[in-house]
Amino acid sequence: MAVLNRMDWYNLARSTNWTPKYVTEDELFPPQLSGDFGLPLNAWETYDEPYKQTYPEYVKVQREKDAGAYSVKAALERSRIFENADPGWKSVMKAHYGAIARGEYAAASAEARMMRFSKAPGMRNMSTLGCMDEIRHGQMQLYFPHEHITKDRQMDWAFKAYDTNEWAMIAARHFFDDIMMTRDAISVSIMLTFSFETGFTNMQFLGLAADAAEAGDHTFANLISSIQTDESRHAQIGGPALKILIENGKKEEAQKRVDIAVWGAWKLFSVLTGPIMDYYTPLEHRKQSFKEFMEEWIVAQFERSLTDMGLELPWYWDIFLNDLSQTHHGMHMGSYFWRPTIWWNPAAGVTPAERDWLEEKYPGWNDTWGECWDVIIDNVVDGNMAQTYPETLPYVCNMCQLPILGTPGKGWNVKDYPLEYNGRLYHFGSEVDRWVFQQEPERYAGHLSIVDRFLAGMIQPMNLEGALAYMNIAPGECGDDAHNYAWAEVYRALRTAKKAG
Amino acid sequence: MSTVDSGKAYHNNRVGPVMRAGDLALAVIEAAKLDNPGKDIFVDDKRAYIRIHAEQEMILRQSTIEEELGRPFRMNDLEVDLSSFAGQIESRDDSVRFYFTKKL
Repeated sequence: MAVLNRMDWYNLARSTNWTPKYVTEDELFPPQLSGDFGLPLNAWETYDEPYKQTYPEYVKVQREKDAGAYSVKAALERSRIFENADPGWKSVMKAHYGAIARGEYAAASAEARMMRFSKAPGMRNMSTLGCMDEIRHGQMQLYFPHEHITKDRQMDWAFKAYDTNEWAMIAARHFFDDIMMTRDAISVSIMLTFSFETGFTNMQFLGLAADAAEAGDHTFANLISSIQTDESRHAQIGGPALKILIENGKKEEAQKRVDIAVWGAWKLFSVLTGPIMDYYTPLEHRKQSFKEFMEEWIVAQFERSLTDMGLELPWYWDIFLNDLSQTHHGMHMGSYFWRPTIWWNPAAGVTPAERDWLEEKYPGWNDTWGECWDVIIDNVVDGNMAQTYPETLPYVCNMCQLPILGTPGKGWNVKDYPLEYNGRLYHFGSEVDRWVFQQEPERYAGHLSIVDRFLAGMIQPMNLEGALAYMNIAPGECGDDAHNYAWAEVYRALRTAKKAG
Repeated sequence: MSTVDSGKAYHNNRVGPVMRAGDLALAVIEAAKLDNPGKDIFVDDKRAYIRIHAEQEMILRQSTIEEELGRPFRMNDLEVDLSSFAGQIESRDDSVRFYFTKKL
């Protein structure tokens, strides 16, 4: 029996809109959930997904992907990769799984909203597959770290992180709640699939896979690059929606959503992916710097495609390009300094050889962050450990929920961007964070940052012990230096040599 | 701290797949050369993934990849190792096309 080619029947099979008789269109597609942007139903019916997939093809391809990922895991399970890995690399895995695994399940529900409430039949089809993709990602990224829990208590945060008020998790939830849990179907397609997945997931799932392959962790490299093959398909859900909005005079609204999502993603990646790539990954295994990966994936690939679809570069383009060389260095120093409050052990990453690499990749590093690290290094060498820990909380931004920081030392540009709204004073880490808030103040105004909660007396007792209890960080889970300060030996030796000389 | 000119990376017209390393990626590299005559094919091997790009437009045909692989291959099987791609995509039964509408 002859089988029709896919494209002979695809358009007919997925044209599933009808005229409702028993309910109104607004009851079938509540505007708050559907997000029709004032366009008639037939405008959404022109939606044409560029990356097409049918259910039988999906099952076949996904089966093949799973067989590959699970068989690599099984083959390498006895190779003791985890036991023999550099402690910095273990921290990469812990940070990744905790920040991401459960977020994948949340993404499944965002995909489900598009699947049910989008007025575009093609979008509903692609998000049905996208929803199953995200369930797969959640399951795999809980299953793969599970074998390590008995070896290392911090690995439990792969599952636990999202249920806590740990500060980085508050930041991650604030961002994902904003772009995918509290938006209509069309906005989700623009903010989650187009802005976040076409762009930033490549950094974490392919850029990091390149580092993982160099580090010999082929199970992890294979897993995350396999996940990204799903992303590259369902990330295309947003593109046709953008085109419909632009064609119907709604470019400004589309652009604003992209600009908000891209900035939030950038801030989150500056604390998660930046330190991982430029400080935790052992020097000899670094494929490229974080900035080079950002230039490759976000500047050259994502932003170039974005303007090809008819959008503009974000208004904050110059600020963004400038921050590519800066923000994550501050995020790294901050998370290292406040290390008892994170669920992985940060690697300092500041031996003389590593500093040479940083200076080469980020000219001026030694005159800025290097000056602060000199102080931390002296304290470690002198045994003044108390001074390598904080006594206060960092001030955090009321938008991205991450520390307000700038460049220290000779490049000093630390600045607060305040805003008074309805009698409350808000603080932001950048002009862009403040701009995001101003686009829809009521959306964000009621949220309390970790510092707001502390000042409101919600964290008791008001010290580190109380903060750790509030963040649900149990004994044995507190972060500390990944290498137990062994890296400081070289500085101790340098000092001895200097005295002798 | 000096600001390095990161913005330069934006000015490019390269499109094409980013494949997970493996035999399919190698077949795609060969197919890219055969299916896009007269075009330079840029290959950037990052070990975990391989960028396979051309200027402005790249076409990959099912029959060419099948021949290079030496086993049955359906266009849709490309997804097994297609981790990402530069440019816009158009999927057809027997080929896939990556392209930019504008030239910088």
